Amino acid sequence: MTQPLFQGHLLILAALPLLVLFGWRSPGYRRLAPALLVASALAGLSATILAWRTGQFPVLDLSHILPFPFILGLDRLSSVFVFLIAAVSAAATVFTLPYVERHYSHGRQAWIWVFLPLFVLSMIVVVTAGSAFAFLFGWELMTLFSAALVAVDGDSPERRHNLVIYLLMMHAGAAAVLACFLLFLPYAPGLTFTAIRAAGGVLPPARTIATLLLAFVGFSTKAGVIPIHVWLPKAHPIAPSPVSALMSGLMLKTAIYGLVRFGFDFFPHVDAWWGYTILLAGAVSALLGILYALTERDLKRLLAYSSVENVGITYLGLGSALVFQSQGASTWAGLALVGALAHTVNHAFFKSLLFLGAGSVSLTTHTLNLDELGGLLKRMPFTGASMLVASCSIAGLPFFNGFVGEWLLFRSFLGGATLPNAGAHIALPLAAGILALVGGLSAACFLQVFGIAFLGRPRDVEAEYAEEAPAGMWIGTGLLALACAAVGVYPKLLLGPLSQLASQLTGNQNAADALGLLPAVLPILAIAVLAVVFLAAALPRATRVTATWACGLPGLSPRMQYTATAFSKPLRSVFAVVYKPDRRVEVLPDNRPYFPATVTYRSVRTTSFEQSLYRPAVDAVVAAAQQLRRLHTGNIQMYLLYIFLTLILLLALVRVLR
Amino acid sequence: MNTTVVGVLQFVLLIASAPLLGALIARVKAFIQRRQGLPLWRPYADLAKLLRKQDLVPSSASPLFRFAPAVLAATTVLAAAFVPLFHGSALLGFAGDFVIFVYLLALGRFFLGLGALDSGSSFGGMGASREMMVSALAEAPLLLGLVSVAILAQRANIVEMVTWTLGQNFFDISAVHAVAFAALAMVAVAETGRMPVDNPTTHLELTMIHEAMVLEYSGPSLALIEWAQAVKLHMVFALLVGLFVPWGMATSLTLAGLGPALGIYILKLLALVLVVGLLESTIAKFRMYVVPEFLGIAAALAMLAVVFTALMRR
Repeated sequence: MTQPLFQGHLLILAALPLLVLFGWRSPGYRRLAPALLVASALAGLSATILAWRTGQFPVLDLSHILPFPFILGLDRLSSVFVFLIAAVSAAATVFTLPYVERHYSHGRQAWIWVFLPLFVLSMIVVVTAGSAFAFLFGWELMTLFSAALVAVDGDSPERRHNLVIYLLMMHAGAAAVLACFLLFLPYAPGLTFTAIRAAGGVLPPARTIATLLLAFVGFSTKAGVIPIHVWLPKAHPIAPSPVSALMSGLMLKTAIYGLVRFGFDFFPHVDAWWGYTILLAGAVSALLGILYALTERDLKRLLAYSSVENVGITYLGLGSALVFQSQGASTWAGLALVGALAHTVNHAFFKSLLFLGAGSVSLTTHTLNLDELGGLLKRMPFTGASMLVASCSIAGLPFFNGFVGEWLLFRSFLGGATLPNAGAHIALPLAAGILALVGGLSAACFLQVFGIAFLGRPRDVEAEYAEEAPAGMWIGTGLLALACAAVGVYPKLLLGPLSQLASQLTGNQNAADALGLLPAVLPILAIAVLAVVFLAAALPRATRVTATWACGLPGLSPRMQYTATAFSKPLRSVFAVVYKPDRRVEVLPDNRPYFPATVTYRSVRTTSFEQSLYRPAVDAVVAAAQQLRRLHTGNIQMYLLYIFLTLILLLALVRVLR
Repeated sequence: MNTTVVGVLQFVLLIASAPLLGALIARVKAFIQRRQGLPLWRPYADLAKLLRKQDLVPSSASPLFRFAPAVLAATTVLAAAFVPLFHGSALLGFAGDFVIFVYLLALGRFFLGLGALDSGSSFGGMGASREMMVSALAEAPLLLGLVSVAILAQRANIVEMVTWTLGQNFFDISAVHAVAFAALAMVAVAETGRMPVDNPTTHLELTMIHEAMVLEYSGPSLALIEWAQAVKLHMVFALLVGLFVPWGMATSLTLAGLGPALGIYILKLLALVLVVGLLESTIAKFRMYVVPEFLGIAAALAMLAVVFTALMRR
């Protein structure tokens, strides 16, 4: 039963674009395309659930009709990711239908419905690939189709610039991924994953190190790990909201999939250094990511930086799992791996919800600047309620799904103290400190996002007259919010399957037991908290609605409220060393400093990796090229001399190497 | 008597006597300042008065405004059920993992911050913004301090950590405990909004943190917030006592064991009250931007405690 469902899932995704391309003139397709997309997602969901239950994992081998080995198939690890992609893309599809109708002309809508299924399909190909060719095929298409979806949204010089950076960095990353597969070549004929798995144990040490390094760089580029994250805050905000949701929520996760595949499946044993590298990269990304997010006013850019942070948190878990595994502590490795995977899944849900919610906000208020919003919860109650759930989730608060993964990570960091290695004993518990700081900062950041945008009084006319988004849009966000709350209150839904997966990957059947009481405790506490909340809210009281206290003045204007800029000010001052802010206060007119007509305040972060890392690197390359240019005299005799010298050099080299 | 009864007793004691603790500290300060001071029942009278009064809700506020104090109260009360006082158990001790404990408090604070921003006044934003700065910076030393103790005890459950320390000889206690205690005591000051981080008696906009957040609340909502704040203070005291000086706690469930244990617990609390009262009378409140340095020192101490655990291994 799983085989036809899985094939149906892929087939609908592949056929849908053709259907739309040929039939877009008939009005029916507008309903048909999203319906088919949801149907394919449902097929995918049932295929993974059935496969997981029955243990019959479908395989689709297309090698005989293609010139290279092309295998797609599910195993436990892939099914988790296929489930995730199907679930999130289904909710996003429900959202997309009204979203594109209100944003795009007829023709553009058609292009969205052409590229959206292809984008989803390419991600499915990546996570179900059973051969390197299939993997790289999906990996490249994923970049191209997401870029196409960004391009459908509009065109401007700035967008083109951002898109080019996105494509450049993705191709650089893909080159590294390609190289790390090719390094297996003489040892794994055909580069099927089965062959690679067999070769993992016999690869020479130098090659193993090179493979792991390249895999780390390649996947980290896709994941948006600092300092190779610069494409992420450029590409995610300019995409249409549902596409940003899929890019941040799902596409980044394929990198996590790749790392888990390499670290726990391809190689039977990975040395600790790789784990430490990932741990360190995770710590840097998590901390800097959330600090950059705090200063952003634009909601989508803020969310993009917060994705950098959350990938960092996942890396913390993944890195510690690899360290544990390398030291033989597979029970702890299992716990950390479950934590990392749980955070991956949870982040997919709440981050896509936040991006979709941002789409609803911009649809009705025509702005994403937090400082112009306010009071939206009363005006858009359904969207607001789901955004509240998402904000609590991303802040890692209990009874929401974000807490579950972070909790497991805290518990697994404690396990570092049981390792014989003194370095791990110190490094892993200290990672708990990083996670705690990041957690505190993200709570501050998302208190700001929800509190400034959805609470208080509207700061601008557009927010004042905001309306609830169309039904499809809030149903889409609502479905994701339900998933976040369900996993938060009853984590066994998620942790049950993930701990089975972790036992398989770490080769330790006890990994599932390491969870202990954890999943059982949260439902009990949730009931207790809800009971007390209702008791407290039901206190007998007389309520009177009045104006907000204005210190005895005639009245408050909405502009007297704290803005997002004001809210993050204390933390920006504390971490000024990270931002090195350039502050300008402009008071007009000059001659009336105490009664000015206008005061403008601007504070921008001056530190950026583009300025301090990429620019010098590019400059160095250009300078080197300038030097090399001297060789180009334009004189044919000189060129003949170069050829002659090169020939002699090569002959000498061959002689020496012999 | 079984554990559940003792658990309920401890829980009720923690919650019911919490307002008294604040009054006792105020009394110590009054004594030092040669004032007569408030009567000890005064906080209870205040709460009763607030519960009878009208609840004023700003016209701009959403339903979340009224909901927030209830969430704060619920999470604080639930967290209180994790902490042992005079017997090595707690009502919800089985669930009392220290990470959940810390994050339950964070949940309450998050909602109170949302309520503050919902009031539509600049005070709410000011308070929420400052509170989040303090709590974001306090989180790392808090969890690291607890992690270092948990590593020694090899347990993550608060009750089990307390009973483990109880089983140790006082004179064998390690440097980890000393350093972790220093870190957690500093964090406790910040978490409970006491001097020198925050002054619970001030209403000056330049300095207030917690008070600015709750400025727009009145009536029963304010009563819930004030009471939750008092419970938090008692809970943090009980946690410090339990983790670092649990000796004297009862291990048996007999009346002969519990009676003296209760007496010893009250004595320990009174000693803490005296120390806090003296401290608050002798030091001035920090400027806002000295607080991060204060918490930075706490974080450094907590990191030191974690590093020490590695050195102490046999």
